[in-house]
Amino acid sequence: MSFKVIKPGFLTTVQDYGRLTHTQQGLSQSGVMDEQAYAWANHLLDNHYNDSALEITFGGVILEALDKMVICVCGADLDFKVNDQSAPIWRNLQIRPTDRLSWSVPKHGIRAYLAVQGGFQTQALFGSKSVNLREHIGTAITKDETLTCAPSNSNLERLMMPRYIPDYHQKVILRLLPSYQYSEFNDAQKALFFGQSYTISYANDRSGCRLNGAPIAIKRDKMISEGISYGSVEIATDGLPIILLKDAPSIGGYPKIGTVFSLDLAILSQQQPNAKVRFELMDIDQAQKERAAFNQFFGVSEIQNH
Amino acid sequence: MHKIILAGENSLLIYFGDKIDPALPKNIANFANQLKNKYSEFVVSLTPAYTSLLVRYDLNKTSAQVFKSKISDLLERFDPAEIERFPNIIHIPVYYGFEVGLDLERLLVEQALTLDEFIHIHSSQSYLVYAIGFSPVFAFLGEVDKQIQAPRLATPRIKIPAGSVGIADQQTAVYPTDSSGGWNIIGRTIVDLSLKNPDNLDKFEVGDQVEFYPITRDEFIRYGGQI
Repeated sequence: MSFKVIKPGFLTTVQDYGRLTHTQQGLSQSGVMDEQAYAWANHLLDNHYNDSALEITFGGVILEALDKMVICVCGADLDFKVNDQSAPIWRNLQIRPTDRLSWSVPKHGIRAYLAVQGGFQTQALFGSKSVNLREHIGTAITKDETLTCAPSNSNLERLMMPRYIPDYHQKVILRLLPSYQYSEFNDAQKALFFGQSYTISYANDRSGCRLNGAPIAIKRDKMISEGISYGSVEIATDGLPIILLKDAPSIGGYPKIGTVFSLDLAILSQQQPNAKVRFELMDIDQAQKERAAFNQFFGVSEIQNH
Repeated sequence: MHKIILAGENSLLIYFGDKIDPALPKNIANFANQLKNKYSEFVVSLTPAYTSLLVRYDLNKTSAQVFKSKISDLLERFDPAEIERFPNIIHIPVYYGFEVGLDLERLLVEQALTLDEFIHIHSSQSYLVYAIGFSPVFAFLGEVDKQIQAPRLATPRIKIPAGSVGIADQQTAVYPTDSSGGWNIIGRTIVDLSLKNPDNLDKFEVGDQVEFYPITRDEFIRYGGQI
């Protein structure tokens, strides 16, 4: 089972749940930017939660199917078409040889996930198939490359209930856990941070998302470097936040005002530059409850499989 | 003494001190091993650095509150004096030449040292691995002798060649791959630290010792060094 890459697009990489266990040796967590869309795609196909998918950023991609198979596209609507006809996302789709799959431009969200039964058969490096360009681990897909997937056997008709389809155009509220140096920020700094709408800047990639807004005055600009968790919000020397994402370095030395809840980062990963975001406090019990429910529903178990 | 704080929905950060101290990395590495062994069913990953240890755990198996108290108990019983693991000593050959040590000539002037003196100071001591990060296999080593310390460049270089050896304040390090960076470059090694050799992932561990030794220009070229 395979696809031939006709047009590789702006940034199209194979990603899985992530390379969780090598932060001790300086490796990023890596993995999909939108855990929600990726989990749905694997779920609808009856895949393992960690099966790899293709993360298509902005579009510009054309693939040609070389075999009959079942696929599922979730996440952004990048004007997905099969043989130049609009095709549905958030549901399984039967594909035949010579079918042309295309993603052209972002219509709603910016990252689409193409999942196939059993995932893409690329080489796992350091326990994960996730490509990390910053670390020179793997490469983006290239023109004329063949993307191999596991044999697709069933004719699995399944779609997601429309009410679960996320609205990426809604106002983005990022719920923040009071972690790291939260208590070292004073009331005025916190009031400014939580009281404003920030704008997503163009400095926004798989490593981090820099926000524009009114800067917070900070005294200490550098501290002793410490381990970074996914979603930590650094306040850089210029007083503006950077949300650290999947390809961020494993350690860093700026003060962090908190950590954004992982499932809110899924929504953030679908935003274009200039979109507005706000922060709101969240307590740890609520975060753990919501994430545990997500993990249970999608069969995510970080210990068992890593 | 110890402090445990929240780092995320599935992570806690343990502080072992609030100042960089050569006694800490070994203790932290040792505690990390104990924690991993005792609670392997909870621990997803561990990230040691300078004074702290980041612990990511499986929130489906335990909660922030419960796991924090388990860590607390283990810390109370933890005896830093019982070092279980002997640190590795890693030897790294360096050609300290002006062609590859992009900042060497300037540093010699600023620090009023001869090249031989500079090489002797940098290569005659053993350095401790305080943290690994920034990029894979990038080990932060300390402490550099005061005589050859130098602040980061005001404007980082876009591309520093792989193998370059740098100094930033009291720290020294080898760049494993071509990358951008603001450290003062004083030489280059022929040792490949990139992940093209996957074994390099385990080259350094926090708490290990690193020693540099000088090689000549001829040796550097003979072993594949590019000028």
